[in-house]
Amino acid sequence: MLFSFDPRISRLELPESAPAPPDKAALDQFPTYEVFHQRKENSAYVYVGPVHAPEADVAFLFGKEQFSRRFPCTGMWVVPTEAIRVTEYGDDLQSVYDRLPLLPADTLAAPDAAGLEAYDIFHLKKRGKAHTHVGQVQAASPETALQAAKAAFGDQRPVVNVWVIRSADLLRSDEDDRDMWTTTPDKKYREAIAYKVQDRIDRFKQEG
Amino acid sequence: MYGSASTHDIPTQAATGLENEDPILLAEFEARIARGEKIEPTDWMPQLYRKQLTRMIEQHAHSEIIGSLPEGTWITRAPGFRRKMAQMAKVQDEVGHAQLLYSAAETLGKTREQMLSDLVNGKSKYSNVFNYPTPTWADSNVISWLIDAGAIVNQMANAKGSYGPYCRALDRICAEEAFHLKYGHDAVVHMATGTPVQRKMMQEALNRWWPAIMTFFGPSDKMSTHTEILMRWKVKMATNDACRQQFLDMYVPKIWEIGLTLPDPNLRKNEDGVWEFSEPDWEDFKRVINGDGPCNAERIAVRRAAEENGAWVRRAMQQPQARYVRPLA
Repeated sequence: MLFSFDPRISRLELPESAPAPPDKAALDQFPTYEVFHQRKENSAYVYVGPVHAPEADVAFLFGKEQFSRRFPCTGMWVVPTEAIRVTEYGDDLQSVYDRLPLLPADTLAAPDAAGLEAYDIFHLKKRGKAHTHVGQVQAASPETALQAAKAAFGDQRPVVNVWVIRSADLLRSDEDDRDMWTTTPDKKYREAIAYKVQDRIDRFKQEG
Repeated sequence: MYGSASTHDIPTQAATGLENEDPILLAEFEARIARGEKIEPTDWMPQLYRKQLTRMIEQHAHSEIIGSLPEGTWITRAPGFRRKMAQMAKVQDEVGHAQLLYSAAETLGKTREQMLSDLVNGKSKYSNVFNYPTPTWADSNVISWLIDAGAIVNQMANAKGSYGPYCRALDRICAEEAFHLKYGHDAVVHMATGTPVQRKMMQEALNRWWPAIMTFFGPSDKMSTHTEILMRWKVKMATNDACRQQFLDMYVPKIWEIGLTLPDPNLRKNEDGVWEFSEPDWEDFKRVINGDGPCNAERIAVRRAAEENGAWVRRAMQQPQARYVRPLA
């Protein structure tokens, strides 16, 4: 049995050694969702990173735990990774919209409004930074949404990369639940500012 | 933050494989890095870049998970409610860092399942310092302050590296580290300036940990072709020796000012401003990292038990129709 300085580990009675377990099966850790957060009221949603989760609600919960625990946050969106339509990446200072192939005019001709859906558009302004929400367009498909985004936001520069997400695929925090983002004020112990040791060091030096 | 500068198994003598890469793509890739632009997951990259970064980020992630074990066991025994809460917050941060890092590594093509498997089957390494025990509360304080400090030296450098997802993860990680460092310093100062018994406990813990701390940044880099290429590609941002010197410069004075001593008679700063010290026992380092340290078996066994105990939850939540897509960024 394994002996540890921590009695709780010794009590687990783990074997001293054991043959390596078989490799994990695919998706043992679940598929990924991409998470966006809003740092303060009325600011744009910004990409913060992926989480692994079995479904959107759980992804939201993990996202909240992972990304809002230590930083101010006023809202969060999650979307399955596979629901994001990604353009190619350009160089810094360029716009990928410039490289967009023009679709035949008939695919762009707006069908009746009934066939249109909302799409959310995110831009990456610089490599290594994070995708930021720029707005919504109405379109019939991700391809035409990208053309519509070029018309609506194409003058912004640079645009290294664009993500197009069907708005219905985004799970968004509810305005009515806004108090879920307020953190307890008595958690000062996890801020660097709560630790002031210089007085103690100075006193020690004087006495010594 | 627990990641150490050196990946523990850089294949210094192995072929770089660069002769098999497309010279035009390689030139564009190197030009992008030279311009100061970041590499994103869907960009073309040389095999060596992908392999080395995967190994480095994965090792960093494992170090966060395994490093939280020795500190985690002290939560219930930390002196006082406030320290219990702070220790818990720190451990929670570190596990969160592992999540961020695993995701960054995944964008390079290795699945999380494979990384977690390779941790328990011993194919992947983690920072060797966590193969040593924390017999007292003071040992846990040494990790909180000095191991974190060492990791911060390294991570601040890596945050300026060339791979976008790793930089994004490190920016977030570095922001949380400020608290860890202050918390650890506060804990050590409290003990060192406390009663004679507390002081003795702190000094003994420091004596136990110092040899491991000196190996934290890895052996001196052999200036091989590999090292040179990895530095040009901004995978490795500083040599192991440069990191070690910076660490000594920042922290030895802080250790001495609270009246603690270091168990190395040769440790001193020479007239050129360079720290001299006794060469760490690299044979022992090799022996421990290859499995024969005081806590290797315990760390892996605990990790493995945690995985196995959570398996039924994951099974219950599995969606049969789900399919895996690599995270985007």
